[in-house]
Amino acid sequence: MLNYIWISLVIVGILVAAGSDIADEAGNTYRNGIPLDVRFEVAKHPSHLRSTWEGTIVLSADDFNAFYGPGAADSAVRQPAIISVDASGRSTVLMAIGESSPFRWREMARHAAERDRLTASVAAMKLSGEENAASVRMVMEPVRFVKLKAVTAAALDYAATAVNISIGLIGVMALWLGVMKVAEEAGLLKIITRLLAPLTRRLFPDVPQDHPALAAMIMNIAANMLGLNNAATPMGLKAMEELNRLNPRVGTATNAMVTFLAINTGGLVLIPATAIAVRAAAGSANPGIIIGTSIIGSGCATIAGIAASRILQRLPRYRRQVEADNG
Amino acid sequence: MADLFRALINTLAVAAIPLLFIVFLGWGILKKVKVYEVFVEGAKEGFTTAVRIIPYLVAMLVAIGIFRASGALELLTRLLAPVTALIGMPSETLAMALMRPLSGSGSLGVMTELMKVHGPDSLIGIMVSTMYGSSETTFYVLAVYFGSVGIRDTRHAVPVGIIADVAGMLAAVWVVNLLFR
Repeated sequence: MLNYIWISLVIVGILVAAGSDIADEAGNTYRNGIPLDVRFEVAKHPSHLRSTWEGTIVLSADDFNAFYGPGAADSAVRQPAIISVDASGRSTVLMAIGESSPFRWREMARHAAERDRLTASVAAMKLSGEENAASVRMVMEPVRFVKLKAVTAAALDYAATAVNISIGLIGVMALWLGVMKVAEEAGLLKIITRLLAPLTRRLFPDVPQDHPALAAMIMNIAANMLGLNNAATPMGLKAMEELNRLNPRVGTATNAMVTFLAINTGGLVLIPATAIAVRAAAGSANPGIIIGTSIIGSGCATIAGIAASRILQRLPRYRRQVEADNG
Repeated sequence: MADLFRALINTLAVAAIPLLFIVFLGWGILKKVKVYEVFVEGAKEGFTTAVRIIPYLVAMLVAIGIFRASGALELLTRLLAPVTALIGMPSETLAMALMRPLSGSGSLGVMTELMKVHGPDSLIGIMVSTMYGSSETTFYVLAVYFGSVGIRDTRHAVPVGIIADVAGMLAAVWVVNLLFR
């Protein structure tokens, strides 16, 4: 099933991106090639030292939205800009796009050749009667294939992220695997396993009752409930390694592994620390109010996961994958 | 009562790791285990385990990255919104339900954004933070845990994970509507 989900994510992603780019192109969302008339308030005129105008492009929100469509800007546009004139007399507008720039230009800048900078060629420029203002007719540098470019960038970004996450795990993994090894040699894991046997016997009937996998799983679940993610992952991976020792078929998940993952993805947690921190940062009067509701939510998820793993493991198609060797 | 519970759990969370170190390593000393040598022996596996995860995590995160960047989630949210409105689930929180199993940082972003817009103590703010607290990043967990032991055929793990996620999200919507509406 993971095969289908994986390929669907990739194919649906690429098709939706291509579709949305075609729609943008057909509707000309970014107004490629269409001139925009703006007012340019001059702060610095060209001098014998430099051949650039510095100033601010000014346009009302209504005019901007009339050009780009509703929602392109929420307030009047005041965009700092530089107009440079090259040797052949052609002028170019250079805009550094930042927080105060209109929404649509920020969106366009994210996909421009140089991030955070938009350029436009000047079709006409006329100084008005006032000394320090000019009317400028400019054509923005065309923006195309925004989503496909974003998809490509995301694919490369996430590949690097995956490696960073894995490498970042090395330290905590080594720490906890070392501590666990000491506990194992000292026989402590066996004691923990024996104490919790009444619970684990029901959850993981396939695992022998004094197996070290049980202790690792219990500690992983306890660490998860306390929100100690740094400790939970190494213990969970240790548990997977121990469970894999009981696995008759290399490369295929066992029933106990799936039940264990169901408990992990259910994410039973006593204090949802991240959510509480975000609520507090957002100015909540009572950030901890979600503790009870989260315990109910994650409790239901965990119970549903365990039940589903028990029911689905009996289905013929999943049973066959395990029994193919034996029968 | 809730405050007491929170204080208790927080204390436990802070004390847990130092306590584990003391008990585990101390027990080792009592049982005459050569703690340093055994620790190093165990820690050696940390590197290989972490490196073994890389191909699985690359495959998973790249697919999720492509899906997220394409805007397919927004499209799916728009398609499903009329259905979820029937069960008292505001369409804004649907983005969270769809994002939660795919991406931890993505769903954190959705939660932060929705709270900024609607306020943390609004129905949407409470619901979205409950939803965040009610589940884990299923596909990341699958990739990391199965990857670490080289499991490629995950059998029923994916449907089980999705069933757990759906149950968690529905329970979160139900309990928040019950208590805060």
